Amino acid sequence: MPDITLTDVSKSYGTGPAAVTDLNLTVPDGSFTCLLGPSGCGKTTTLRMIAGLEHPTAGAISVGGRVLDSVERGVFVPPERREMGLVFQNYALWPHLTVARNVEFGLRVRRMPARKRAERVRQALTAMQIDWAADRYPAQLSGGQQQRVSLARMLAVDPKVLLLDEPLSNLDAQLRLEMRAELKRLHAETGQTIVFVTHDQLEAMTMATHVAVLNKGVLQQLAAPMEVYRRPANRFVGGFVGSPPMNLIELGDTRSGTEVRRQLDRLRPELLPRVAAVGVRPEAIRIAESGPADDWVFEASVGAVLPTGSSWTVSVTPTSGTDPSASAPVDGGPELYLVSYQDVAATTGARVRCRVSADDLHLFDDDGARIATAPAPAVAP
Amino acid sequence: MTAVAQPRASAWGRLRYRLSVWRREPTVLLGAVLVLILLYLVVAPLIAVLSDAGQVQYGDEEKAGAAAGSVTSFYLWRVFRSPVSQLLFWEPLVHTITVAIGVTLVAFVVGGSMAWLVSRTNVACRGFLSTALVVPYMLPSWTFALAWLSLFKNDRAGGQIGILEAWGVHTPDWLAYGAVPITICLGLHYYPFVFLLFGNALRRIDSQLEDSARILGAGRFTVLRRVTLPLMLPALSSAILLVFGRILGTFGTPYVLGLPVNYTLLSTSLFSAVRNHQQGVASVVTGVIVLIGVAVVLIDTRLVREQTRFVTVGGKGAMDRRSPLGRMRWPATGLGLGVFVVAVVVPVLVLALTTVTRTPGVFRRGNFTLKYWIAEHLDGAPGFPHGVLRGGDLYTAAFNSLRIVGIAALVCGVLGLLVGYVVVRTGGSRLSGVLRQVTFLPYLVPGIAFAAAFLSLFAVRRGPIPALYGSLALLVIVLIVTHLPYSSRSGISAMMQLGREPEEAAQVCGAGWLYRVRRVILPIQKGPLVAGVLLPFVSGLKELSIVIMLTTTGTQLLTTLSINLVDFAYSQMANAVVLVIAVVSFLATYLTQRLSRTSLASGLGG
Ligand SMILES: Nc1ncnc2c1ncn2[C@@H]1O[C@H](COP(=O)(O)OP(=O)(O)O)[C@@H](O)[C@H]1O
Ligand SMILES: [Mg+2]
Repeated sequence: MPDITLTDVSKSYGTGPAAVTDLNLTVPDGSFTCLLGPSGCGKTTTLRMIAGLEHPTAGAISVGGRVLDSVERGVFVPPERREMGLVFQNYALWPHLTVARNVEFGLRVRRMPARKRAERVRQALTAMQIDWAADRYPAQLSGGQQQRVSLARMLAVDPKVLLLDEPLSNLDAQLRLEMRAELKRLHAETGQTIVFVTHDQLEAMTMATHVAVLNKGVLQQLAAPMEVYRRPANRFVGGFVGSPPMNLIELGDTRSGTEVRRQLDRLRPELLPRVAAVGVRPEAIRIAESGPADDWVFEASVGAVLPTGSSWTVSVTPTSGTDPSASAPVDGGPELYLVSYQDVAATTGARVRCRVSADDLHLFDDDGARIATAPAPAVAP
Repeated sequence: MTAVAQPRASAWGRLRYRLSVWRREPTVLLGAVLVLILLYLVVAPLIAVLSDAGQVQYGDEEKAGAAAGSVTSFYLWRVFRSPVSQLLFWEPLVHTITVAIGVTLVAFVVGGSMAWLVSRTNVACRGFLSTALVVPYMLPSWTFALAWLSLFKNDRAGGQIGILEAWGVHTPDWLAYGAVPITICLGLHYYPFVFLLFGNALRRIDSQLEDSARILGAGRFTVLRRVTLPLMLPALSSAILLVFGRILGTFGTPYVLGLPVNYTLLSTSLFSAVRNHQQGVASVVTGVIVLIGVAVVLIDTRLVREQTRFVTVGGKGAMDRRSPLGRMRWPATGLGLGVFVVAVVVPVLVLALTTVTRTPGVFRRGNFTLKYWIAEHLDGAPGFPHGVLRGGDLYTAAFNSLRIVGIAALVCGVLGLLVGYVVVRTGGSRLSGVLRQVTFLPYLVPGIAFAAAFLSLFAVRRGPIPALYGSLALLVIVLIVTHLPYSSRSGISAMMQLGREPEEAAQVCGAGWLYRVRRVILPIQKGPLVAGVLLPFVSGLKELSIVIMLTTTGTQLLTTLSINLVDFAYSQMANAVVLVIAVVSFLATYLTQRLSRTSLASGLGG
């Protein structure tokens, strides 16, 4: 039923640079779509435009075929007629109303009979496990509790689309984890279309069915989370999604650059002229003596080993591959980070052999766009 | 051809889109209407007054040697260069500057030292002093002038002599009238400005800065002179300019104390020009007052901007720091109480005594009387032949005051919040900026000049707008416009604090505009709204300089009634009316603070 479609939507505030530029985005019905991007990239603006609180300077927005905004055709449906729910980053509860009255507000507006209203309020509060606070005022609740009330307030009116603006950013780590699970459960139960804004890639990865990555007001990629992770559309997405971030190796004069160029020359010589940089995820770098023949193999000296409990993050600096005996002062070759899930025996200064399987090299061209790679052809050793 | 047509169609689309947004959201429309109305009410009077200054007025055709309505520099010549210009303009200008400097000094010395005592020392009765020392500002400014006359008046002017003369002490003219008493009386009225502004700044200053100086070996007074005072410079210059601006537009005190010796200030000179129907001259003087007022505010903002490098207030080190006064503690307390006695107790007591004694200063049984309050008939007072509480005059005036000020205050409160609403809702847009500036404009113009300008504008019918002179509506409008900067400023800050999200949440929930305003905005903003009504009400009750120009005998207010009685030289009754105003405005202020828990400082607009 209600796909949310944004067509060529642009928005600029006053004379400043555009907050959103030519955004084309379809949020599939029933999806849990996450708008992901660094702070200031236009996520909130996009969300508010969908809600009707900001007005695009160009383009059109429609939900389920119903046009809500069309600058060209002069159509505008005000927020109060859009039947959406929006949870604000700072909750925006009404301080003069009790929790129950806050939740009841939307139902009163819809002139629902009192009996039914009370029932719905109770349901919504129970669903968010905040029914015990029904008679309190928002100021008497903690941030996490206000968050639940603010969700309950929107759930009560059963909106077609639920919009959430960084709903977890003001919560502490423990609560955040709980609310993530809760939101996912909520989505599974109601099947509502949810659009969720965050700058935290982990949040996007863990919760969303679809991720739309934005940067400087421009859509970078819209795909399933694992797709975004595995096949980032460009350097920005590659670098933004994943923690620790992807290693980006310029094909320049650096040691790793030279190393990886040699590897590409061996495997995909036809692509080499187009490649400007190569991305390698930290968890794709293995410390291993042996492996498949088409692996990119390089010698490296260990900089630091940082155990995190479940894994080890290791910084390594490639030494020259041709002359393994040469000592490896850190002379400008960028350090690479790798994540290992097995105990790293090596200590600072040790020499190790690193391997990256050919499929794990992300190639980016001069503009930073991903270079599609057909499955690598078998290479003779 | 299509290449040209394409963008045009798109512009048309954008316009249509905008229109449909505006239709759904009355904010923009509301803002536009507000801007237009306010622009008219603020700018049109100023234009009218300027054009009056350059046009021959009816009745002046002969003197100016040109037909009425033709362009002339006659009034400029008359005010600046003619034989009467000394009397009309130059003397009043010099007097105004003299008085302003004097008042600023008095206010600075009294207010500054009291602020330091109360916020930085262990003076006794701090709580009492911090409230009591503000009371002079709650009294109408010319209360002090009337009290002064009751004490020091000699037989030069008509009416009853003062208490000192009655005791046989001759008071020279310079002590009884003119520059000295005007300066002292206004100084006593305005020192609370400095007291409050300074007190605030002193409390918020980072005490670590002073501690550092002490650690480096500076003595207490060196610290005061070399560290504290320089840090206070922004507050100081602000207070001085604020007081200066007020002096420019103050009317009551110079009128009461200056008139007997023809000591005129710009405000009183303007008043007599208006009263004598010299519209052209009045317009020129108004223009000058406006120019000086604008200059003062511009200098102030300039200084404040330059001094932002001194911004050291706030921060972690900001805390209450009270240095012990040692042996000086009780003398200092005495000084503080002394200021209170001189500025409040003595004037009020003197006024009260004069209203119940036949011969001033004689406190024998037979000399006391209540006739000035309640007598059915008073001999020798043909203009006001009964006690103040008898006859209808006081009640009519009180009713008028309450009605006019009440309506104006209500409108001010609502308008302030509306302006705040539009500014915040359209935040960042041009409309928001324009609205902010328009509402601030009246701040540049001293009230008395505004009144004169309104007189120019509304004396005759202009287009669809009728001549409003002599009507209560005109008084209401003037009071609203002159209070607009304070109202809108507090409205904006109240709405800023709320932000737009609470309303937007209601909007997303499906609530229409009226519903949102009724169920979300108003209930949340109840407190600020009450304060926004009460503050202009309190200051409006005491207002004289603005309304004196615009009232006629038909539209007497409490304040103008009191000045009228002064004109008749019925000093006891004038004193009685001022006492009534003082009591009412003191109670109203007290109530306001109780009800809205706002500080008085916000009502000062400082
Ligand atoms: N009301 C506004 N007025 C002017 N600029 C704004 C406004 N809201 C957002 N912006 C600007 O638009 C850009 C995008 O903002 P926003 O959508 O809030 O980013 P995000 O939510 O991704 O952090 C930012 O550069 C921000 O400064
Ligand atoms: Mg945001």
